[in-house]
Amino acid sequence: MQITRLFAFLLMVLEWTRPGLSSPLRPICDLRVVDHFIKEAWDAEAALRACKDACSIATNFTVPLTRVDFDVWAAMNIEEQAQEVQSGIHVLNDAISSLQASNQTDVLQSHIDASINNIASIRQVLRSLSIPEYVPPTNVGEDKEMQKVSSISELFQVHINFLRGKVRLLVASAPVCHQGVS
Amino acid sequence: MAKMRSDRLKIVFVLCLAFVSIGGQHFESKVAQLLRDESEDIKCFVEVKDLTCFWEEERNSLPDQYTFTYSYENKIKDCVVSSLSLLASNKTVFFCKLPKTPFFTTLDVKVSRDRRMLYSRSLNAENFMFLDPPRNLTVLSSGKEGQLNVSWLPPLLKYMDDSMIYEVRYAEEGSNMGKVEVIKVSTMLVLLGLQSDTRYKVWVRVKPDGVAYKGYWSAWTEPVLGVTQPSELDPLIMLLVLFIGLILCLLSMTVILSHQKFLLKKLWPDIPTPERKFPGLFTVYKGDFKEWMSQNNSSMWGRSVHVFTEELPSPLEVLSEVSLSSHGTSQREERKPVEEDEEKESERSDSGLPDRWREPPQAHWLMEQLRTLQENPQPLSQSLLPQSHDTYVTLNQNSQGDGVREVDDVFEETLPLQTLFTTAGTPSLNTSHSDLGSLQQSSGSGRLSSQSSFEYPNHTWPPKGPGYAYMAVADSGVSMDYSPMSSSRIVELGRHRMYTNDYKNEIFLHKWPLSGEHTKSGSDFCMGPIW
Repeated sequence: MQITRLFAFLLMVLEWTRPGLSSPLRPICDLRVVDHFIKEAWDAEAALRACKDACSIATNFTVPLTRVDFDVWAAMNIEEQAQEVQSGIHVLNDAISSLQASNQTDVLQSHIDASINNIASIRQVLRSLSIPEYVPPTNVGEDKEMQKVSSISELFQVHINFLRGKVRLLVASAPVCHQGVS
Repeated sequence: MAKMRSDRLKIVFVLCLAFVSIGGQHFESKVAQLLRDESEDIKCFVEVKDLTCFWEEERNSLPDQYTFTYSYENKIKDCVVSSLSLLASNKTVFFCKLPKTPFFTTLDVKVSRDRRMLYSRSLNAENFMFLDPPRNLTVLSSGKEGQLNVSWLPPLLKYMDDSMIYEVRYAEEGSNMGKVEVIKVSTMLVLLGLQSDTRYKVWVRVKPDGVAYKGYWSAWTEPVLGVTQPSELDPLIMLLVLFIGLILCLLSMTVILSHQKFLLKKLWPDIPTPERKFPGLFTVYKGDFKEWMSQNNSSMWGRSVHVFTEELPSPLEVLSEVSLSSHGTSQREERKPVEEDEEKESERSDSGLPDRWREPPQAHWLMEQLRTLQENPQPLSQSLLPQSHDTYVTLNQNSQGDGVREVDDVFEETLPLQTLFTTAGTPSLNTSHSDLGSLQQSSGSGRLSSQSSFEYPNHTWPPKGPGYAYMAVADSGVSMDYSPMSSSRIVELGRHRMYTNDYKNEIFLHKWPLSGEHTKSGSDFCMGPIW
């Protein structure tokens, strides 16, 4: 009995303090941070552009669409933009992570690791900008915003295009960065 | 109401036309530039937000003949082809402007004609940004020397403000050599290191930085002139320069003053005056030497004697007269010392007497003649004395007396020879042929033959007559023996390093250019002292 009381008391206290939550991050509005990740993604894409035959894998990757229509994008609100970016990052991360399991060359492995780290860093940047987190959809059906690629070079092309496009545009237009500017 | 509507429509139409025309200018220039620089069949660029692809074709074809398609993400779309005539290069291009250009995805573009594919290309639209040049370029002189402030506005383009890179070119007005500065993101630049008070032209162009967007360099803006400030003398530097100059002047003055006397002596040396040697000459007697001499007779006597002794004619002199008469004279005069020397040599060889002071009977007779002549001097001989003094000193000096004695000896010496020559044919003197190249023993040593003296060579000398107190020696040398003097004279002359040079006729000719007349004069002696 006393143990159950102790557990109840601890649960209440922990629920109240919520120690799992991290302190709020300072917003990273400088686009040079995102540019740095983009430059690294460029290096990976350039290295893997030549690697076609050796880098081809039988399985297909599900990757996000990278196309941006400026007019359409400007018409979207921040939540829709955030949703699109977050879901795309999630899918990209899954696709690149699936490569880590398979045996690859050292050069390829280094690029894969760098890309995964970059995606994690970008997630932190988005978090600092108070961009809502991605919530995976309950339906398993194919998302219209996805596409399939069959080679690693295409995968990294998608990776770089996604970062240059949607991610960068989202960070550039984050409302946190434009507070105080009329 | 209808009128207002029509007015509004007209305004809108005019604005649209203006916009299109302005855009058209840029558009045409971009097309022209890419037509020049790009090598692909289909040339594409993004001007503001839309991708335009064009290709060059012959003039005769029509745009309707072509089909332009582009595909992305498994979607295929068509585009309407239009034609454009470039006035500058007189070319026709067909182009298509994609209405809603998808960015950050791969586009496949195809051009077909009559269902036959002509050209195709795969590209990403965001990599072919062709921006307009920057706007509102202004160049102002900053407050500092050699600097210019340059500022401009970026081209109107959303989403790309932070990813633009600029190039600023500047050059002196009228010069073609310019420098380029690259600047990222910022739309302001300060040009440094410029010449003061100079006019500069500045241009700017823009390009995407290549991280998120890529593209071509835009066209240069129109040049803007700026003038740098004229140079000013920094007052601090002026003060420092003056201060240092002052210190240097003081130092140099100090050095000069401390070594004043030394410097004066070097730069303006004193003219030496003889006043030190002649005390009182200039101060007391005002330059009157006679009076000064008379006053200082006793003390200065020794010195004057030295002066006189210095001016005494040297016992032996090289005679270099070249005139006919004088040359003959000189010749004869020269020969005298030579003959004397020969005589002395012969005398020495003959007698071999170590005692130099022994007087043979001929010498004694000569002395007698001298004395008689001295009592009765002949006018001619006197006139010739100045010439013959030199030679006869050497011949007849009896003793090594003082200077006065020597002077007297000179007179004495001239006389006996004259006496000898006037009495021609005197048997007391005999000629002795002498080979001038050697010192031969004279058979009739000690005797002088006046006859030989008158053996003239073929050419005629001016018949100066027997008044000349010398002998004319022709083919043969005459050896004269003045034995009492010879040995002593050698001692005297030894002090002066006397030497004899024997010349043949030819050599004599070379040495004496005017001696052509004496070609047949036989060998001649030339004797000269070496001082």
